[in-house]
Amino acid sequence: MKIFFTLFLFISINSILLSQTKISGKVTDQDNSPLPGANIYIKDTYDGTSSSADGKFFFSTQEKGNALLIVSFIGYKQKEEKLNLKGTEIHLEIKLESDSKELGTVVISAGSFEASDENKAVILRPLDIVTTAGAQADIYGALKTLPGTQQIGEADGLFVRGGSAYETKTIIDEMVVQNPFYSSVPDIPSRGRFSAFLFKGTVFSTGGYSAQYGQALSSALILKTQDLAEQTLTSISLLPLGIGGSHSQRWENSSLSSEIFFSNLAPYFKIQKERTDWKIAPRGFDGSLNFRQKFSKSGMLKLFSSVSLGDLSLNMKNLDDPSVKDFFRQKSGNYYFNANYRDIIDDDWTIFVGASYSYDKDKTDFNTLKLTDGDNLSQAKITVTKNIINNSFLTFGGEVQNTVYNNKYEVFENKVNEIISAGYLEADIFFTNDFAGRAGVRTEYSKVLNKANLAPRISLAYRVGREDQFNFAYGIFYQIPDKDFLLQSNFSGKIDFDFERADHYILNFQHISDERTFRVEVYYKDYDRLAKGTLYNSYPFFQQLSFVPFSSAGKGYAKGVDVFWRDRVTFPYTDYWVSYSYLDTKREFSNYPTLAFPTFATPHTFSVVAKYWIPEVTTSLGLTYTFATGRPYFNPNNPEFLGDKAKDYNNLSFSLSYLTSIFNSFTVVFFSVDNLPGFRNIFGYRYSTDGSYREPVVPTVLRSAIIGLFINIGQSNPY
Amino acid sequence: MKLFFSILISFLLIGMLKADDDKYINAMKKNLEKLDSLSDLNSYLDAANNFERIALAEKDKWLPYYYGSYLYIIASYMDTVKEKKDVYLDKADRLIEVADSLQPKESEIYTLKGMSAQARLSIDPMNRWQKYGAEVNNNLQTAMDLDTLNPRPEYLLGTGIYYTPEQFGGGSAAAKPYFENSMKKYNEFKPANDLMPVWGRRQVEEMLKRIGG
Repeated sequence: MKIFFTLFLFISINSILLSQTKISGKVTDQDNSPLPGANIYIKDTYDGTSSSADGKFFFSTQEKGNALLIVSFIGYKQKEEKLNLKGTEIHLEIKLESDSKELGTVVISAGSFEASDENKAVILRPLDIVTTAGAQADIYGALKTLPGTQQIGEADGLFVRGGSAYETKTIIDEMVVQNPFYSSVPDIPSRGRFSAFLFKGTVFSTGGYSAQYGQALSSALILKTQDLAEQTLTSISLLPLGIGGSHSQRWENSSLSSEIFFSNLAPYFKIQKERTDWKIAPRGFDGSLNFRQKFSKSGMLKLFSSVSLGDLSLNMKNLDDPSVKDFFRQKSGNYYFNANYRDIIDDDWTIFVGASYSYDKDKTDFNTLKLTDGDNLSQAKITVTKNIINNSFLTFGGEVQNTVYNNKYEVFENKVNEIISAGYLEADIFFTNDFAGRAGVRTEYSKVLNKANLAPRISLAYRVGREDQFNFAYGIFYQIPDKDFLLQSNFSGKIDFDFERADHYILNFQHISDERTFRVEVYYKDYDRLAKGTLYNSYPFFQQLSFVPFSSAGKGYAKGVDVFWRDRVTFPYTDYWVSYSYLDTKREFSNYPTLAFPTFATPHTFSVVAKYWIPEVTTSLGLTYTFATGRPYFNPNNPEFLGDKAKDYNNLSFSLSYLTSIFNSFTVVFFSVDNLPGFRNIFGYRYSTDGSYREPVVPTVLRSAIIGLFINIGQSNPY
Repeated sequence: MKLFFSILISFLLIGMLKADDDKYINAMKKNLEKLDSLSDLNSYLDAANNFERIALAEKDKWLPYYYGSYLYIIASYMDTVKEKKDVYLDKADRLIEVADSLQPKESEIYTLKGMSAQARLSIDPMNRWQKYGAEVNNNLQTAMDLDTLNPRPEYLLGTGIYYTPEQFGGGSAAAKPYFENSMKKYNEFKPANDLMPVWGRRQVEEMLKRIGG
């Protein structure tokens, strides 16, 4: 007993003597600035404390022997120190490394504008696109207020930095969309087929885009669709152009949305004095179905399907014989299906698998001639991303695009089946938090051209302050010639073209803060191997020009400066942005006899978009002013090819959105006027064959006004 | 002698086990008492750190994760630097996920998920209401379904409605019934044990005073 008690006492006394180890020190960042509020503790114990305002800390622990000290602080990488606790005082100087994932890093962004809720360094948000006056809630309309785009009012598509509309591709969930626009007839533009609300993110690249995408010489519009629908919701849209409704059903891990819209512009054109002699004003039907299924924490399956039917016919002035009218009719049908699956495996690997199918059929009647175009595109793509050290990652994958062009002109049938297979490899490396680079290579093989290409791409981003960054990009971009070149040379016997090529050099400086964004970008594009040749159905035909045989001898250049300024704070409740583009470009392609400034470009383009929010009446007012110097047009009487310039373009649009709730349903009343002052814009002229008579190409409506109502049933308040 | 030793050892063992549980309860109680007197941002982050240490040491107790998350959500409201707000909420979300895995289908955890979504929304309402509005409502509704006596979800719903413009069905008149329901539940609320959340009563009283009811 005595021995036991003595032993017990001895152990107890020793415990008291060896009891506490005092740990103290200071926590700082890599620059020696103190970090207050860091958590310093012994692993698996309560023992610890927070660092004070000067970064210093002090605590004592009863633990003994080997222990692990952990220092953690939001925005910084956790640090561990092995300690041996023997009762002696321990003093530590802890330097924490910042964790880029949390505090944000430099973002690679040469040549691109990103609109999403996810990225911190964004320039536009999806809501910005929809509320821009003059855009009429069309993504492409809103993108035309950004620098780098040209104001082309008589044709659809995005014309970027001296490139034609064919040089811009629209990509939805990694898959190319064969025809993102409603079909239309010459000189009458149409809008994009997809609603802006479908997308959670938009990256509009005006050049230098990633090796994951190809077949676009100038730019790519990369759209990502929304994930699960937020809630079960029904909404109704009422516009003078048509009526539609949509319904979203949300279950726990899946959602199904459907949308239909019936459009008929006849009543609208009866009210508006329009300058087009419509026989059947554009009318159509749109339907879409959207299914999302979430698997586990990170897997998402998306299925999207859409159908579009349209019909229109009009009489056009015959320039050679004013007493005669040319009749145009177009019936179009479009079907699009996109399925994709994305998942994260083992925290390190991201896998994306997708497939899409597009079918576009246009039946065009020109007087008595009948022309049918039926194109279909099947695409499959797989992309794998692997994390390497830090935030750096490697991306690689491949895709196949199988396109069938079917063309029937009267009794002549023509068909071209192109298969493009591509592979890509790209590395995103974050050398430091302030310097990142992306280097990639893309290779493609075209069955129809029987040629392969190799396209290196590189992009660098260097951050000089928390909000300031320099970006540089260089890349080679390839594209097969436009389908009409392929079809018509196929008809003549042989397709003998090369890939069209553009080399991009881009340098920019940007300042992005919560309040203001400033961006200036200079670029140089070198075009080579552009398709040349006279296409019998090209519009405008320029029939007075001499015949040009098919070849890949076209070339050109485009260079310029784009400036962007956005300010959200100087004026209360006002958000405005200003874009200016300077463009100098010349090209020789298609049936151009010489190098010339193309018809779809102009030296100066300027846009101001302003939005003003009045909280007392929950109304948003928008104003957009656009100016562009006149574009060249073809005058057969002028020996200098494209030597004439149309007058300058001006447009002022106004919009008003009133947010309220009707019968407990969140409602938006929308009113907009395009070209409020009634500027008489002329895009160019079309000449009679002998050059003696000409007709101006003008917008279909001088001044258009729309009033609309959007009701969301099931969502009584937006919060 | 052998019996004496056995009894002694048993007492020591039981003592050790109870000491562990006591240690946890004492540490939690000590930090919970401080909650009402926290004033500036640093004191909130300090308290959050305390709960996080307990959470990491215990590993299988959901309440310290819950309180850590709760304090980070409040910190996101207190810090004036916009970029930091989302960072605090990222941490709050990570902590509540662990709490959820330890105590699934817990009303208070869903209440906190709704509170976090509400904090996210308030950072940039114009651009975030579409994404987070539904999340707030879904989570708070689930919290109410899991425990009809929990007064906190209706306090949070009422707060959201109070700050919503009247045109969309918001405002003080629309918020009032939520606060009143919440107050009634606070008066009858009995926490399951000493460590369960009880916060919010003072805030509801203040809101009702502000509205005038």
